[in-house]
Amino acid sequence: MTNVIETHHLSKSFGRNTALEEVDISVEEGGIFGVIGPNGAGKTTLMRLLLDIVRPSSGSARVLGEDPRKASIGIRRHIGFVPGELRLEGRVTGRQLLRHYASISGPVAPGAANDLADRLGLDLSRQVRTLSKGNKQKLGLVQAFMHRPRLLILDEPTSGLDPLVQQEFLSMLREAKADGQTVFLSSHVLSEIQQAADTVAILRAGRLVSVSDIDSLRLTAIRHVRVGVADAEMHAARETIAALSGVRDTAVTTGDGARLTATIEGDIDPLVKALSRFRITDLVVEEPDLEESVLRLYNIAPEESTNEQ
Amino acid sequence: MNSNLPLFRRSLANSWRSLIAWSLGVVAAMMLYLPLFPSLGGNPDVQQLLDGLPSELVKSIGYDQIAVGSGYTQSTFYGLIGFALLTIAATSWGTAAIAGDEETGSLELTLAHHVSRTQVILERSAALIIRLVWLGLLSAIIVIAMNTPAELNIEPAHALAGAGAIIGLTLLSGTVAIAVGALTGRRIYATAAGAGIAVLGYALNAVANQSDDLDWLHSWSPYHWAYGNSPLANGADPGGFGLLYGLSAALIVISLVALNRRDLRG
Repeated sequence: MTNVIETHHLSKSFGRNTALEEVDISVEEGGIFGVIGPNGAGKTTLMRLLLDIVRPSSGSARVLGEDPRKASIGIRRHIGFVPGELRLEGRVTGRQLLRHYASISGPVAPGAANDLADRLGLDLSRQVRTLSKGNKQKLGLVQAFMHRPRLLILDEPTSGLDPLVQQEFLSMLREAKADGQTVFLSSHVLSEIQQAADTVAILRAGRLVSVSDIDSLRLTAIRHVRVGVADAEMHAARETIAALSGVRDTAVTTGDGARLTATIEGDIDPLVKALSRFRITDLVVEEPDLEESVLRLYNIAPEESTNEQ
Repeated sequence: MNSNLPLFRRSLANSWRSLIAWSLGVVAAMMLYLPLFPSLGGNPDVQQLLDGLPSELVKSIGYDQIAVGSGYTQSTFYGLIGFALLTIAATSWGTAAIAGDEETGSLELTLAHHVSRTQVILERSAALIIRLVWLGLLSAIIVIAMNTPAELNIEPAHALAGAGAIIGLTLLSGTVAIAVGALTGRRIYATAAGAGIAVLGYALNAVANQSDDLDWLHSWSPYHWAYGNSPLANGADPGGFGLLYGLSAALIVISLVALNRRDLRG
């Protein structure tokens, strides 16, 4: 299997600020490779390096078999890109803008752009500058997907999209994969990566913390649980769930409507089954917190803060 | 490079509204001033009024040649209003070409496509040149059309030389803005540099007009390179034009090197 993306000790500093340090990754053709990490971890810098928008301080990269720095621009016909901050402007309609991008990328099949816009619910006859952030993001997705590139590089592609459109986007990703396209995407939302990616790399403060397949990551996800239980049963409920493996930090909050809170690592099925014996007035299971999961998983002490660029 | 110049066409398509606005500005300014020449420039009362003003003032605003058609057209349009209009247009287009596009993040997306940085500079510089050539030629056409009714007595070839002068002079502001954009990626620096070189050239020329002792300052003024030889009266000045267009070409080369070498700003 050939690698579509390969980096070797790839590093990038901006002045004294190290954005990326000695990153080695390889992305196989035909898969969906997710990069997660908190804001400022270096995800955007990594993607910009792959596209020769910024140049490495040291180390090297190969994209579609070529060094982005020296590659003929022809390889970029085979890449679709959505930047992290997409600020499209101009007094042109979405359709005109897409026609322009089509003229500087690979050939676009007739109707491909319209089909994608329909799927995402985007009106291409409106002027770009009047579009909402979400609609600009949709336009960005259409221009990245429309020429069916071999490689899609997507930086936080779902930011600003409502949940229904996010689902549509995930199905576009699955189709791209079925089609043999390779996807390299970043997110700071773990669930999004979990639904789409085959392989996940975790970046933190410019360093690659791990690369693993998606299943091993899912098991170790940390969730916060908040349960409303009748007062009389609160104590018993707390003891019951505290006894489960993977449950930590159980506590009872007082005040308006007492709640039982806990942190659970891994499968939530035993917790739900155990709670079913009680009368539950409320149940909230929060999205796994990415940073917390990652830190727990790799036993890394939290750092004060990280900066990008 | 793509044979169909996609970035060149995009630049023109993006700015046709502003190009029409600047064209209307040129037409309005010329139609305001030129028809007044028979009653103003050749009028002894006006000449008397100018004679009463301090000669330094008259020289620094370039009104010492106002009694002939070419001097009048130069003083009112090419040396003043037209110079200001085209400088502002060129600086804003030159700024938008690289620095503005980079600050909005559009340049990053463009460069992720089948486009080289060299191509971005060349096609967008070409789009800047073609727009300025249009505005310059428009002014020459109006001068030629108004020649008889306004009694300007300017030879058509010299009208074209006047266009060549204003195009070259304002192109310099545009290419400075492109080059500073390519070097820094900052809109504010690009605009300041493009406008700054125009103001500096004008000021140097005005100071140098004051006395023979200061005459050497002329050789540092792009404004003087363009107009020192009075192109409307005497035709194109190869030396001055060579400096203006040569410097713009050098700035485009600097832009190519600068943009190809650096990281884009995030």
